[in-house]
Amino acid sequence: MKKRFFAGLLAAMMALSAAGCSGSTEETTAAVTETEESTAAQSEAESSEAESPEASSNDEAEVPELSGTMKVVATSEDYVTLFDKFTEETGVDVELLSMSSGEVLSKLRAEGGTPSADLWFGGGIDAFMSAKDDGLLEQVTFDAAEDLAPEYKDADGYWYSKGITIVGFLVNEALTGELGIETPASWTDLLDESYQGEIVMSNPAVSGTNYAVVNALLQTMGEEEGWNYFEQLNNNIAYYGKRGSDPLNKVTSDEFAIGISYIDRGVEATIEGSDIAIVYPEDGIPWVPEGVAVFKNAENVEAAKYFVEWLFSSDDNLRMLAEIDKKDGIKLIKPSIEGIELGYDTAILMKEDLSLFGSEREAVLEKFETLMGAKAEE
Amino acid sequence: MSHGFHVKNETARKVSSDTFFRVFSVSVEKLLKLTVLALILLFILYPMICIFMRSLYVENGIGFSNYAEVFFKYKENFLNSITVGISTALLCTFLSVCTALFVYTRTGKFKTALMAVILISMVAPPFVSSLAYIQLYGRRGWITYRLLGLSMNPYNAVGVVLMQSISFVPMNALFLLGILSKIDTSGIKAAQDLGARPGNILKDVVLPMMRPGIYVTLLLSFVRSLADFGTPVIIGGRFSTIASEIYLKIVGYSDLEAASTMNMFILVPSVAFFFLYRHLMNATGIMTDSQRTSTEPFSLKLGKCGLFGFTVVSAAALFFIVMALQYICIFASGFMKRKGGGYIFTTEYLHELLKYDLSTMTRSVIYALIVAVLGTFIAILFAYFTEWRRLKGRSFFDCLVTIPYMIPGTCFGIGYILAFNHKPLALTGTGIIVIANMIFKQLPTSTKLCAAAVSQIPRAQEAAVRDLGGSSLSVLKDVILPGLRPAFFGSFSYNFSTAMTTAGAVIFLINPGKKLAVFKLFDAVYSGEYAVASLISMLIIVIVLAVEGIVYLLSWKEKENVS
Repeated sequence: MKKRFFAGLLAAMMALSAAGCSGSTEETTAAVTETEESTAAQSEAESSEAESPEASSNDEAEVPELSGTMKVVATSEDYVTLFDKFTEETGVDVELLSMSSGEVLSKLRAEGGTPSADLWFGGGIDAFMSAKDDGLLEQVTFDAAEDLAPEYKDADGYWYSKGITIVGFLVNEALTGELGIETPASWTDLLDESYQGEIVMSNPAVSGTNYAVVNALLQTMGEEEGWNYFEQLNNNIAYYGKRGSDPLNKVTSDEFAIGISYIDRGVEATIEGSDIAIVYPEDGIPWVPEGVAVFKNAENVEAAKYFVEWLFSSDDNLRMLAEIDKKDGIKLIKPSIEGIELGYDTAILMKEDLSLFGSEREAVLEKFETLMGAKAEE
Repeated sequence: MSHGFHVKNETARKVSSDTFFRVFSVSVEKLLKLTVLALILLFILYPMICIFMRSLYVENGIGFSNYAEVFFKYKENFLNSITVGISTALLCTFLSVCTALFVYTRTGKFKTALMAVILISMVAPPFVSSLAYIQLYGRRGWITYRLLGLSMNPYNAVGVVLMQSISFVPMNALFLLGILSKIDTSGIKAAQDLGARPGNILKDVVLPMMRPGIYVTLLLSFVRSLADFGTPVIIGGRFSTIASEIYLKIVGYSDLEAASTMNMFILVPSVAFFFLYRHLMNATGIMTDSQRTSTEPFSLKLGKCGLFGFTVVSAAALFFIVMALQYICIFASGFMKRKGGGYIFTTEYLHELLKYDLSTMTRSVIYALIVAVLGTFIAILFAYFTEWRRLKGRSFFDCLVTIPYMIPGTCFGIGYILAFNHKPLALTGTGIIVIANMIFKQLPTSTKLCAAAVSQIPRAQEAAVRDLGGSSLSVLKDVILPGLRPAFFGSFSYNFSTAMTTAGAVIFLINPGKKLAVFKLFDAVYSGEYAVASLISMLIIVIVLAVEGIVYLLSWKEKENVS
C-alpha cells in the first residue's frame, strides 16, 4: 500500500514538474526560432509597436504614464544616484540588486520566460548577445538611438552599451621588486620566462573582460598566431580564476605578482595606497562594452523601456553615468555628447569586431578549455 | 465541551474526555506527520525532480545524451571530488572528535570560552573568511611565509582538503558535544573508581559511545565536501572538482542542462555513502534502552592519557589557534590601513560603515529567526517520526532530507526557480521562497542533530508516561522535547548563523527590494572596500552571538524552572 502511494506521488510530482518547467521552455525555444527568422522578428516588432500606439505617437520627450517599481539587476550599487534621478522624474521606484552577468543569464534561463527583474544594467556584452539569441530580451527603439555609434548597439535594438570596460595589468610592485622581475609593459612581455607561475587571469567563461582579452588578441594576431600566443602564455599563468575578481584579489593580497584584470573605479579604489600599479599594455588594450537591456515579459517592461530611452536621450543623464563610472568611454558610444573628452587615444584600443564576440564565444571557450586543461595536471 | 450536559457520573465523564483527548492527540499527531512529510516532498523532492527533468533536455527533445557527454568530459573531476571527499571526511572527523573530546573534558570558564569560539566560528562570512585564510596561509601568508619562512603553494588539492576540513569542524564538534553531553557517565565514574587509566577510559569507554556521532560526522563531511564549490573555487587553483565545474557551468556558460546532469552524477556517490552510513548506524544498535543513572560532566586530565591524550590536545589546539587567528585577522582588517610598507590603526572604515544602509540587517535577523525556529521545529518533528515512531519508509525520507546537502547550493537555488516560478506555485520574488530554501538547505544538519538526541532518550520514559495515561502527544511534549534541549540549542544556533551568512543559493531567489545583509557585504567587496566588508562581518558575528546568548539563557532558565 505504502509503496504504491509513494510511486503514485512520485509520478504526480514528475507530471507537475513536467508541466511547470518544460511548458515554459517551449516558450523560450519558440522565441529563439522567431528571432532566427528575421521576418518573424520584424512582424513581432510591428505588433509590439501596435500594442502601444500612444508611445510612438507622442514621443516628443514627454514622460509617459509610468507607475510601480522597476527592478534592476546591476553590476554595482554605485548607480543608485542615477536611478534616484529617474525616480524623481518619473515617479517609478527603483530596486537594485547586484549580480554577475553569468548569474543573471542562468537565472533568466531557469525562469523560462517570466523574469523577476525588469532592467539589466551593466555586464559584459557577450552575455547580452547570448540572451538576445535565446529570445530573453525585449526590443527597445527610440529616436535618440540614431545618435549612438552603430558598433556599440544591437542593430535590432535588443541591447545598448552604457560604457566600455578596458583591460590592463595589475602589477604588485612590492612583489616584483622582491622577486627581481621587471614590470611588464605589453602582451608580448607577459611571455617572458621570469613571470612563470606569477600571472593570474580569470577563466574567460566567467569574465567578460578576460573573454575580451582572448577574442581581441585572436582578432588582432590572427587565429594561428593568437592561439600560439595563449599556449605560451599558459606556461606562465598560475591558474585561471573561476571568479572575475580573482586576479584583483590575488594581486592585492600579495599572492601573485601580475593580474590580467578589468580596470574600473572599484579596482582603483581597492588598490589605493598600496604598491600596486595599473599597466595599460602598449601593444593594445582589449575592451568590452557594458550592456543595457530590458527583459522580455518583465512585469514593468514599460518603465524599463522608458529608462533606456531616458538615459540615452539626455546628455545630462549620460554625463551623470560617466561621472559615477569615472569613465569617458561614453564619448565613443555617443560621439555627439559634449563636455566629455576621451582621456586616451582610441588607437590604443584593440580593433575588435563585436559581431564575432557572440557568434564565436562557444568555439573560442571550448578551445581555450582544452588549452587550459593541458597544464591542469600539476 | 461538555459544559451543557449534566453528567452525574464523574468517572464516566473522565473516561469520555480521556477518549476524546486520545483521539484528538492521535489526529493532531497524524496531521503534524503529514504536514512535515508534505513539506519535505514539496520543498526538496519537487525541486530535485525539476532539476532531473532539466538534465534530460537535449537539443531536439528529451533523452539521456547529456549523461554520456558529461560522464566522459568530467571523469577526472569526479575522481578528484571523491578523493577530496574521503580525505576531508577522515581529516575533518579526526579534528572534530579531538576538539569535542577536548572541550568535553574541560570545566568552568575555560570550557565556556571554548564553546564561544566554536559558536563564533560557525559564523563564516563569505569572502571575508576566505580572504583571511589566504592572508594567513597563502603563498605570502603571515603565518606560512612571514613567520615560518615557508614558500608553499596552497592552490591545489591539499589546500582544498585542509580548508574544507577546518571549516567543517565547528558544526561537527558542536554535534559531537551534543552527543557527549547526553552519554551515561556512570560507567566512566565506575571505571575511574576501579583505577582504570584515563587513556583507556577515553579509548574504551568514551570513544565507543561517540560512534553514532562519528558516523554522522563522516557522512556529513563527505557529502558536504562533494557539494562544496566555494573552497575549490577559492583555493583549488588549477585543481577542480565536479562541484567547482558545476559552478563554472552556471556562472560561465549558463548551461543549466549540463549543470543539472552533473548534479545527478554527484548524487550517486553521496547516496551510496548515505546507505553505508544507515547500515553502520543500524549495526551500532544505539543504546536506547539504557537505564541512565548520571549525565554529570566529569573531569579527565588529558595530560595523563598518554599518546592518545597528546594527539587530542594537539589537534584541538591546532583547531582553536587556526580559528582564533582567522577571526583576529578579520577583526584587524576592519581597523588596519596600509601605509608605506606597514599598517596603521584607523577608525576611518568605521565611519564608512555608517554610510551603508544597514536596514537590511533587520530583515536578515528576522529571516534567520524564522529559519532557526521553523527549521528546528520541523527537524524535531522529523526526528520524532523517523527515529521514535519508526515511520515506514524512513530510510527514503532520511535520504531525501539529506539531498540538499549533496548538491551545490547554487543548484538548489536554481531548482527552486524551476519549481516555483509558475502557477500553481508561483513563489519567486517572495520572502517565503528565500526562507524555505534556507530551512530545507539546512535541514540535513538540523535533523541529524535532533535524531541523535532522540535516539539517546531511554525508551522506558515513554512507557512511564503511557502508564500514567499520557497520550502520544504528551510523550512528544514531556519526553521528547525536554530530551532535545541541547539539540534544540545546537540546531537553532546552526540555522541562525548559517541563515545570516548564506548567499550562494539565495542570490537566485532574492527580490531586489528585499535584500539581506550579506549582499551589503558583497557590495562593499565590489566597491573595493574590503575593510568595510570586514566590519559588516563583525557586526553579523556580534548579532549572531547576542541572539544565541539570549536563546541559551532562555532555554537554560526554563530548565531551572522545571527542576
